[in-house]
Amino acid sequence: MGLLTKEIERAPCTVEISHCFESLHAHVRFNNGAVIYPGDEVKVQGPEIMAPFGEVVSEDREAIIVRASKLEQLWTRLTGDFEVMELCEFSFSEEVML
Amino acid sequence: MNMHAKHSADATTVEEGLAIQEEQAKYDDNFATETAMANTLLTPRFYTTNFDELDAINVDGIRAEWDELIAQMEADPNKGHFKKNEDWDHVDWENMEPQLKKEFIDFLISSCTAEFSGCVLYKEMKRRGNNKDITQLFQLMARDEARHAGFINDALREAGLRVNLGFLTQSKKYTYFRPKFIYYATYLSEKIGYARYITIFRHLEANPEHRFHPIFKWFEEWCNDEFSHGEAFALLMKTDPKLTQGKNVLWIKFFLTAVYATMYVRDHQRPAFHKALGVDPDWYAHEVFAKTSKLSEQIFPITLDIDHPRWQPTLEKLQRANVQIAEAKAQGGVGGKLREMAGAAKAAMCFFSLYTIPAKKHEVPENTRLVPAY
Repeated sequence: MGLLTKEIERAPCTVEISHCFESLHAHVRFNNGAVIYPGDEVKVQGPEIMAPFGEVVSEDREAIIVRASKLEQLWTRLTGDFEVMELCEFSFSEEVML
Repeated sequence: MNMHAKHSADATTVEEGLAIQEEQAKYDDNFATETAMANTLLTPRFYTTNFDELDAINVDGIRAEWDELIAQMEADPNKGHFKKNEDWDHVDWENMEPQLKKEFIDFLISSCTAEFSGCVLYKEMKRRGNNKDITQLFQLMARDEARHAGFINDALREAGLRVNLGFLTQSKKYTYFRPKFIYYATYLSEKIGYARYITIFRHLEANPEHRFHPIFKWFEEWCNDEFSHGEAFALLMKTDPKLTQGKNVLWIKFFLTAVYATMYVRDHQRPAFHKALGVDPDWYAHEVFAKTSKLSEQIFPITLDIDHPRWQPTLEKLQRANVQIAEAKAQGGVGGKLREMAGAAKAAMCFFSLYTIPAKKHEVPENTRLVPAY
């Protein structure tokens, strides 16, 4: 990993989308053990995956991981905490007027 | 509002299901435009944290309390609860007052997104961790969040809104939070969530004529899940006493102030919602803060002095500053920018003023575990 350069990696992955009453979730699992670090960007390739209501769809795809440069990773580690309030749930969006 | 001819749940093949969804999407888009909801694409955020630190957590010191909580979550008392049954009354979306409808849909979408994001975060912690106690806990919490999200999603579908899970094929940047910040923020979020839901639930029990949507009937069990998640984070913090001592007490005060203030401001931005529930947002805020403070005494050595003479007026000032910022942004131009900056300065002053109200100190009890009692 360079100080300023980004590297691009491809990783096979499995996407699971559940659009069920019992569970609404969407997860990506990298099948080659790739690990994501702060500041990395991940994009699953291919068309949007849609699960019809009541179904769980699992697809093998390829993901492109744009690795953050060393500097960007450091920056994300230092500044990410500022956004931590977004983990809190307030029932409403921040829009002042709807 | 015309309803869709066929529900994708009735589709027999994926193609058919997709076709129905496509059809529904056109309709949903119209509805979204009409109700000024820009978009129902769920946009959860993606996080990383220090997973080595999570792996290093040792719950042996609190083993009895921990095992009891995990056993209770594993027993899954709420399994099968989040289903529509005969208590799910008909919702007259068509005749719902337009402003109420907007605010209520904002409530459903924000709540669904929050549950969904919680699920993504907890699942990530489960997957990246190697400590069996910790991964088991996060797996259980992810289950609950996905279940809640599914339930809210169903209410949204009834309103004609389709939640789009296509975000994975968009580029997602992973940000980073320190574990302790995750503990403080999510602990408070879960506990204040419990206090918020139970307060509304009890209010509607006493005043059922204000229950304008059946989802409120499910709030009690829903918030009991939030309660247990809060318990789990309290125990996690208990494994390392440093997290609630010394300089970290200042962080705790910061999170308490930020969470209470944000809740106050956001609730006051949804007047139609609270009016329909027959709830005065100022009364509600005080009630929720009092309950959350009482609960958080289980692990935090301080609580905020919400009866201090500066507390309420400063919250009101903060709310006005927030409105000023929004109006100035809408106004635009140099004048707007200046007003926006003035508003932001006012808001910062208010936050500082709230933060510097002396906190109440107290002893943290030996036994951490609580049961929902409100």
